Amino acid sequence: MGRYILRRSLQAVGTLFLVVFVLHLLTTFAIQLNGNPALAFFGDRVPSASQVAAVEARFGLDDPCFDQVGNPCLGPFAERLAGYAQGDFGTNLRGREVTDIVATAAPNTLKLFAVVTVTWLVMGMFLGSMAARWRGRPADHGIRMTSVLIDAFPIFVLLLVYRYVFSVPLSEWARSTFGSDSLPAQLFRPSFDADHAWASVLVPGLLLGLAGSAAFIRLVRASQLESYAGEHVRTARSKGLHERHVLLHHVVRNSSVPVVTAVGLTFTEALAGAVITEGMMNIYGMGGVLWEAVRGSDIGLVIGVVTILAIVTVVVMIVVDVAYAALDPRIRYE
Amino acid sequence: MSDATAAKEATAGVVPDVAASRTVVSDAWRTLRRRPDVVVAALVIAFFAFMAAFPGVFTSTDPQSCIIGDSKIRPQGFGAPHPFGTDPHGCDVLAQLVHGSRPSLMLAFLVVAASVVIGVTLGLLAGYYLRWVDAVVSRTVEVFLVVPLLLAALLLLSLFRNVHVGSGSLDVILLPALVLTMFGWMGYARYVRASVLEAKNLDYVTAAKALGASDLRVMTRHVLPNAIGPVTALVPTAIAGVISAEAVLAFLGIGVRPPAISWGIMISNGSEWVTGGYAYLLLFPLGCLVLTVLALVALGDALRDALDPRLR
Amino acid sequence: MGRWTVVTATTATMTLVLAGCSGGGGDEDDGGGGGGEGATVNLSLGQDVETLLPMDSNVGDNISVLDVVYDGLVRYDPETTEPYNYVAESVESSDNTVWTIKIKPDLTFQNGEPVDANAFARAWNYAAYGPNAMANNYFFERVAGYDEMQGETDDDGNVVEEPAAQELSGLKVVDDLTLEVTLIGPFAGFATMLGYTGFFPIAQECLDDIEACSVKPIGNGPFQVSEWNQGQNLTASLWEGYTLDEAPTTYDTIEWTEYAGESSWPDFQAGVLDLGSPPPAEQAAAESDPDLQERYLEGPGAALTYLAFPLYKDGPWTDIEFRKAISMAIDRQGIIDALLPGQRVPADSWVVPDGVPGGEAGTCEWCTFDADAAKAALEKAGGWPEGETLTIHLGQDETEEQLFKAVGDSIQQVLGIPYTLDPTPDFFANRSDRAFTGAFRSNWFPDYPLNENYLAPVYASGDAENGNTNFGYYGEEFEAAIKAGDEAPTLEEAVTRYQEAEAALATDFPTVPLVFSVNSYYYSERLSNVVLDPFSGEPKLRILEVSDAM
Repeated sequence: MGRYILRRSLQAVGTLFLVVFVLHLLTTFAIQLNGNPALAFFGDRVPSASQVAAVEARFGLDDPCFDQVGNPCLGPFAERLAGYAQGDFGTNLRGREVTDIVATAAPNTLKLFAVVTVTWLVMGMFLGSMAARWRGRPADHGIRMTSVLIDAFPIFVLLLVYRYVFSVPLSEWARSTFGSDSLPAQLFRPSFDADHAWASVLVPGLLLGLAGSAAFIRLVRASQLESYAGEHVRTARSKGLHERHVLLHHVVRNSSVPVVTAVGLTFTEALAGAVITEGMMNIYGMGGVLWEAVRGSDIGLVIGVVTILAIVTVVVMIVVDVAYAALDPRIRYE
Repeated sequence: MSDATAAKEATAGVVPDVAASRTVVSDAWRTLRRRPDVVVAALVIAFFAFMAAFPGVFTSTDPQSCIIGDSKIRPQGFGAPHPFGTDPHGCDVLAQLVHGSRPSLMLAFLVVAASVVIGVTLGLLAGYYLRWVDAVVSRTVEVFLVVPLLLAALLLLSLFRNVHVGSGSLDVILLPALVLTMFGWMGYARYVRASVLEAKNLDYVTAAKALGASDLRVMTRHVLPNAIGPVTALVPTAIAGVISAEAVLAFLGIGVRPPAISWGIMISNGSEWVTGGYAYLLLFPLGCLVLTVLALVALGDALRDALDPRLR
Repeated sequence: MGRWTVVTATTATMTLVLAGCSGGGGDEDDGGGGGGEGATVNLSLGQDVETLLPMDSNVGDNISVLDVVYDGLVRYDPETTEPYNYVAESVESSDNTVWTIKIKPDLTFQNGEPVDANAFARAWNYAAYGPNAMANNYFFERVAGYDEMQGETDDDGNVVEEPAAQELSGLKVVDDLTLEVTLIGPFAGFATMLGYTGFFPIAQECLDDIEACSVKPIGNGPFQVSEWNQGQNLTASLWEGYTLDEAPTTYDTIEWTEYAGESSWPDFQAGVLDLGSPPPAEQAAAESDPDLQERYLEGPGAALTYLAFPLYKDGPWTDIEFRKAISMAIDRQGIIDALLPGQRVPADSWVVPDGVPGGEAGTCEWCTFDADAAKAALEKAGGWPEGETLTIHLGQDETEEQLFKAVGDSIQQVLGIPYTLDPTPDFFANRSDRAFTGAFRSNWFPDYPLNENYLAPVYASGDAENGNTNFGYYGEEFEAAIKAGDEAPTLEEAVTRYQEAEAALATDFPTVPLVFSVNSYYYSERLSNVVLDPFSGEPKLRILEVSDAM
């Protein structure tokens, strides 16, 4: 196992390097092709050449390679890597430390993801098990259809309707019933509140989780069906074990393997939902930061944030694979 | 839904079945024909596909001709000039809906078709040859999985934002299609690779090899059929996923480019007005999208049941 | 006020919201009578607040914070926008070129340093020094010695030579409280500029650690920034050592919540916040609520959106008749009613009427919707080339895209000219590269309240051959009138001269005015004396009153 983890970690470093390099190339070409983000600094005003040059220098874009289309700008890349190696993740265009931005934004996103993951797991395990148990019956069809229906609604529609139609009367009611600083009042706030982060992230997280739970329900259902048909379950049953025992130890435990894998894989994909959820609910999180950074051609911030994200993702993937091995006795890594 | 999830989900149903795949397919066909939900789903999909192919049958109004004076007319019912009403710009909603189906559906079919081809090919090669082929494919898959789709989409779509590909019906979806494909194939590759690994050591494959069958023949005749059934079952769900993804891209302003219309663009625009008492602007396109997605998912579920003998 | 960037959605940035009273943003129920001790005002900000350094702040949101944290030499009358002396004892000039500024004695920064002539000189020199790349650098273009403080660049825009000077030669500290400023030429409006953030003083401690100071400013105004979680919220509380008189008496804390574009309207409706503006879809509902209507405030906005043409490029638009045709084909009121009800007003002048001195409605003769006249004008211009499509370039901003789609629809409908929209994030780069091949969206938000600011920075170039960079416009009469205004002995006369410049512009008709912004707010029951600044459109925080007698 130890050697396996070591090997995976070495591979991960390679993957990370590739990701950062590809990102560097993409952002560099974007600037070369699309022109200078420094100009946006001046808005509707016409800057003089020396004003533009000064802002380029401030933005770290004064290397002439950024004006030459096709130049991979290896110099700035090497500098950036050297900085990263020393733990210096640089600053955004306006000079704020990337690590500071991530330190502020990441906890909010993690809270959101925590709620989302719990929603997924609970919905998936619970409804998925029910659907598998009563396969082919109305309960099965009902659960699957409802989950697909929720899934088909774009997440922004769910959030928009919640925010404009439900949250206002709900929070008014909560404020007048329980007081303005009470938990229910915070729960139904139309926007995120940094002072009550957990409370105000709960409903958006739940909605985002609901929107993605259909896949988990299907996944759990499918894998439990497989387990039901599996020989070990048949054996357990024929041994006269309690149905409850069989269900918990043989069906649910085995079916949790693909679920864990899926959580790991969807980790990065949840970021897509996070961009929208964070944007609409005014949560200062990684999705929103990244989105704004790309739109503003803030290379330093984009690469810094993605590098940190990629490190986390790679670690999560390794952990998931290890958990996979721990959960499924059939899998052995040498 | 993510392709990655979808792929994993199907992994649960992987069965190294020795039965010839042809029987499975014809069996499946027979079962499917008899299920009413499958027939309804197929009809819904056929209806929208027809709409995308021949928009002229459904409306004669130009979706691009908008008169600001006709802004926000509520649905008037069939026979009137604006059966489904008009949007804030005074454009006819029915005409937009009909013409918007083409980019949405075409994008989805194109992306999934390309993803399946790329994913199955790479997965097959990686699983069959292992060694460096596998190393390269697995690393590539990992790199693509690590970069979040949305970020990649955003970067790439903004990288090529000054590239004017034209305004034909294929051109307007080309960029989102490329990007979604680039980040949509990994699931199939991982899945096919896994099932090839299992199938490779089966007796009949070993036998075929021993009898001197070429690699190509072993792969296409003996290994691939094992994997292709469940992959087929993934396709409708994946198409549904891309249709939804298009709406999200449209909401973020990086999908199909206006003035071209798609369901996603209509939903995104309509959602701005939904609270102002103009819910129909959202409900019509959303209804079409939900209906299509539901039909596709139902079809996918049925296909999976039918193609996966163990679940029957 | 700073430039209004395309990417900054006008609707999103400046929602000012007040909420809560005692301590942690409370409710109507709590709090002692008559406000006073402990009352908190919660405002909302756009998330583009990146810095609180005065020299580097030029978007509406930084300014609304800095306006209570710093005091400028002059402040502007909430009714007339005319400047009056505040930190300055007097601002005088006999020739509009050499200005003598006397500063009130015994003023200090929040860290105890004196607010003297040096405090202003160090801020201005820092801002004017090119390599510091401050957003408000350009404000000092009119001060003698500015050019020597900028680096030399080659044709590719790379710096080849460092600036020769570190300080403005036109800026002289005569004594502790006297500052003498020499301009490169006469400019009657100089005193008007002095209230802008770019001219605020900074403490020596701030200059020593600019990074710290841009996050936690050392101001000389009535409020001190106590905490800023960048991206989330910002808290400022009353500074006890404040000696001047413009400070609020009914509350002592301001808490800003940062909003990243999404409307804060539901928060206002839910009672979390006390001041808000509805998005277009909610406008009708808000207007039909009689309770809300009593707490509604509306004022003219200063931002002008207009359509410009690449006059540097051959095309139908070089014919004034064509531009007239386009202008008269646009149903401004109809577009506003359909898309942005209550948030814009049709523009028929180049300077906002009533908002700034010299602004007058109706200076544009061809800015009203008239389909027949538009068709006639197009015919006179020789029609639109067969088979061609008119491209309208603009930045990526959803509101603007909606607006300009409607503008395009109007043109297509009336004149039969097919159009395409080209929304690009590289709008500014393309504009300065003169890369446009069709009409393009333009926007102007003035920096200081004077009609000159709508005209000279946008249209004047002094380059008869190429015209100005953005449009390729050059008007001899226009340039002469601007020059006459700059040299006028009094501000009143200067304003009149600048009005003549606008008239010259109206004759040349290089651009088509479309809409002016409107500032409107709904406020909660506990606020009173809510006054909108006619120039910035934001509520005047210093005179705002909070009552808890609910």
